[in-house]
Amino acid sequence: MRVNHRFVCLLLLAVAVRGAPAQQTPRSIARGDPQDAPRSITIDSRLAADASLHVGDRVVVAAGTGEPGDTVVIAAITQRRADPAEIARGEYRVRLHLGQLQSLLGYGDRVDRFAIATPSAGATADAVARINASAFGFQAHRSADVAVETSKTFAVVSRFHRAIGTITIVASAIFLLCIMLLKVDERRRDVAALRLIGCTERTIVGSVVLEAAAIAVLGSLFGVVVGGTASFLVNRHYQAVYRTPLRFSIVTGDIVLLAVALALVLGIVAGWLAARRLVRTPPLALFGR
Amino acid sequence: MTAIVEVRDLAREYRMGDERVPALRGVTFTVHQPEYVAIVGPSGCGKSTLLNLLGVIDRPTSGTVSIAGERVDQLDDARATEFRLRRIGFVFQRFYLLQALSARENVELPLAEAGMSTRERRARALELLEYVGLGRRERHRPSQLSGGEQQRVAIARALANRPALLLADEPTGELDARTGAEMIALFERLNRDGTTIVVVTHDEDLARAAKRVIHMRDGTIVDDVRVDPADRRVEPVGLAPEPHER
Amino acid sequence: MLATLALASLLRHRTRTVLAILGVAVSAAMLLDMVMLSSGMRESFRGLLLSQGFQLRLSPRGTLPFDTEATIRGADSLLAVLRARPTVAVASPVLGGQLHFPSRGATVTASALGVEPAVQGDYELVAGRQPTAANEIVANDATLRAIGHSLGDTVHAAAGYDPQLRTYSGERTLRIVGRVRFIYLALDQRAVALPIGTLRAMGGPASADRISLAMVKLRPGAEVERERAALHALLPRVTVTSTAQALEQVDQRLSYFRQLAVILGSVSLVVGFLLVTTLVTVSVNERIGEIAVMRAIGVHRWRIVGQILLESSALMVIAAPLGLALGLVTARWLDSILARFPGLPERIDFFLFQPRAAWTALGLLVISGILAGVYPSWRSASLPIAVTLRQEAVG
Repeated sequence: MRVNHRFVCLLLLAVAVRGAPAQQTPRSIARGDPQDAPRSITIDSRLAADASLHVGDRVVVAAGTGEPGDTVVIAAITQRRADPAEIARGEYRVRLHLGQLQSLLGYGDRVDRFAIATPSAGATADAVARINASAFGFQAHRSADVAVETSKTFAVVSRFHRAIGTITIVASAIFLLCIMLLKVDERRRDVAALRLIGCTERTIVGSVVLEAAAIAVLGSLFGVVVGGTASFLVNRHYQAVYRTPLRFSIVTGDIVLLAVALALVLGIVAGWLAARRLVRTPPLALFGR
Repeated sequence: MTAIVEVRDLAREYRMGDERVPALRGVTFTVHQPEYVAIVGPSGCGKSTLLNLLGVIDRPTSGTVSIAGERVDQLDDARATEFRLRRIGFVFQRFYLLQALSARENVELPLAEAGMSTRERRARALELLEYVGLGRRERHRPSQLSGGEQQRVAIARALANRPALLLADEPTGELDARTGAEMIALFERLNRDGTTIVVVTHDEDLARAAKRVIHMRDGTIVDDVRVDPADRRVEPVGLAPEPHER
Repeated sequence: MLATLALASLLRHRTRTVLAILGVAVSAAMLLDMVMLSSGMRESFRGLLLSQGFQLRLSPRGTLPFDTEATIRGADSLLAVLRARPTVAVASPVLGGQLHFPSRGATVTASALGVEPAVQGDYELVAGRQPTAANEIVANDATLRAIGHSLGDTVHAAAGYDPQLRTYSGERTLRIVGRVRFIYLALDQRAVALPIGTLRAMGGPASADRISLAMVKLRPGAEVERERAALHALLPRVTVTSTAQALEQVDQRLSYFRQLAVILGSVSLVVGFLLVTTLVTVSVNERIGEIAVMRAIGVHRWRIVGQILLESSALMVIAAPLGLALGLVTARWLDSILARFPGLPERIDFFLFQPRAAWTALGLLVISGILAGVYPSWRSASLPIAVTLRQEAVG
């Protein structure tokens, strides 16, 4: 069992209000006296950009406005995690030595939590059980369980996206059927001529379906390119808006296969239905007589 | 007699890729009111092209066309449309009635376009249908009419706005012999009642019924004869000059 | 006459027309849903904030209401200052905390709001009455179910739990005098409300003279933003948030949904446009000969275009109400999905139907559908008449 004492990830050092524009200059970080022998901290890239801080800068960190605080030096600037839970939060993340933070906050010998790494899954279960049995004032949770709890918001968003996707597929099916019908209808005279010279219904339907399948495949490949481009643009946009490395949209092989397969099936069905309608109409009627 | 149609050196060329195909080569003639003229000739001689130019549904490459004293060869689209609406009646080989409208409504269409009130145009449409012998078929759709009846409706439509000139492109082309004969009789009657008619046809009977026959070949007029219906005497109106004489 | 022709054209191919109407209706539904989504949350949240008439909210400086566990000290003097202002009609203090109820061998924890019942704006009474006495409490159904009690029962409650010592700073016996519905809490969130003095006493010295939040209702005629700025300057310990500012915060946090709404709404509009363009193009191509004949007999180009546009308008007008109905149904479904966001107040709707926005959306669709018909119809009416007639005769 290892306990990470050294650095504790900390929320907010009296810097920005949650949800407030991240452009606010932090009030409790001020330039420090170069004569101090400071300890080091790390800050995140967002804070560095907003407060124009660099590695090597000395700053004063305090737990509240007006408090004296400690002079520290910025040892590193960290990249934000691709954590969806951090989206739309205007927080800055600063890492200090545990003892220093405890001292600043007047926490004494307290922490908010421990993070524990175990050698195996079986050892995790055992550790959880033993800790909870002997714990005095705290409880152990598996990271996976915590993840499930904190992911509830994103589960809702995922379900919403799936619903939108379902609606889009239904709408696409209707559009595709409509357009196939229109396009096949345009060819009614050709179909009539083919029937009159002796082509079987099977041949005609087959050729229409083949054409519909080709259009569906080409169209879906084009759609994949468009979707990939859109995904790239979406990621670029939202990464800039929320200042996060999180990828909001991912186009995977499975998704591409699903899209192409679905388009193919819809296209073939639409073409077949449209062609069947035409071949069942007497040829002369197709000529308008 | 008043000149209704004056054509001078009319020419029409079509472009087929890099090739230029002359459909009409310097045609000149005049039609007076109320002549009944038939234009005949082999397929591809330019007679339909000539009719389209007279009907202001096409523009010549060169030359002039005047109808009822007005130059029509270079009219813009809006004025050409207005001219067709009020001064020209066109009858097509395939009738081209609007399937969604009844016989009466088909005849009313140009009247509505000319701004006539509902009551007036209904009365006029019925009058015209009576004239062509279809007074009882006003509510029938084209699909419920025979070929001859459809062509009569088309003629009634063409006469709606009392045109100065009635043009007909193979009006008996889709009709059987008996119906064709009825159509010929109708045209004769129209002409007797004062309508100037120019008809393009392969139908010898229709051509014989006309009082003047213009023969065309290879885009030019090769013969232009007036026929006296009384004794069928043929009088040349004026031969078009041979190409080498121009 | 043109109307007759337009209707006849639509009826000539019934299946095609029905499918096109369905397609446009689906576009309309999507567009409507996205319009509802883009403005719904905001308006719903605004309605929620203003439902009790409180226009300003005071929270510890640098925080949003109940966003942290921070509290405002010197609450009594703060309230005195607020109530002394001539523009302030009501000042309602709220202290947040937790109460623990032993129940069937376990402990049920509920969010607790300490309020002044006479001026509170956090809950609505469903049954019973307000907790006027110090030992009275009101609770929502989720809490009552969890603790296995009902209106009129007496319960044992504790506050100020120390996890290390496993002790409470205050324990009381309280009588449940009311069943309530909390306005700003999620449906399944367990919560109770009691007199603020009682909760402070149970919370121990840490809660003395403290509040988490104060809500302010202004007198009629008072300007909200001016009052907000004045209070903000007067009271350095607090952040004063108006409804407008709160909405800005919501907009920022939920900007994703608004942007999604704009994108999907635009896509719906474009797809609807394309569908109608295709339909009109094919329909017109079939009638090229008919159109050429109409031109030949003297019907003006613009009138032919008008007839064709009449067809596409009819299509849109029939599809629009269908799309409206479909959109409302799908909005309800989508809203039920998003309503499961953890901690979302019960009364927040993501999809809010606002007649003006709906008519704007549908109007946009109808106009785009009409415009979609302009090019193909103008093109067909501009074809050379003689050539077209000949081609149609040969074809």
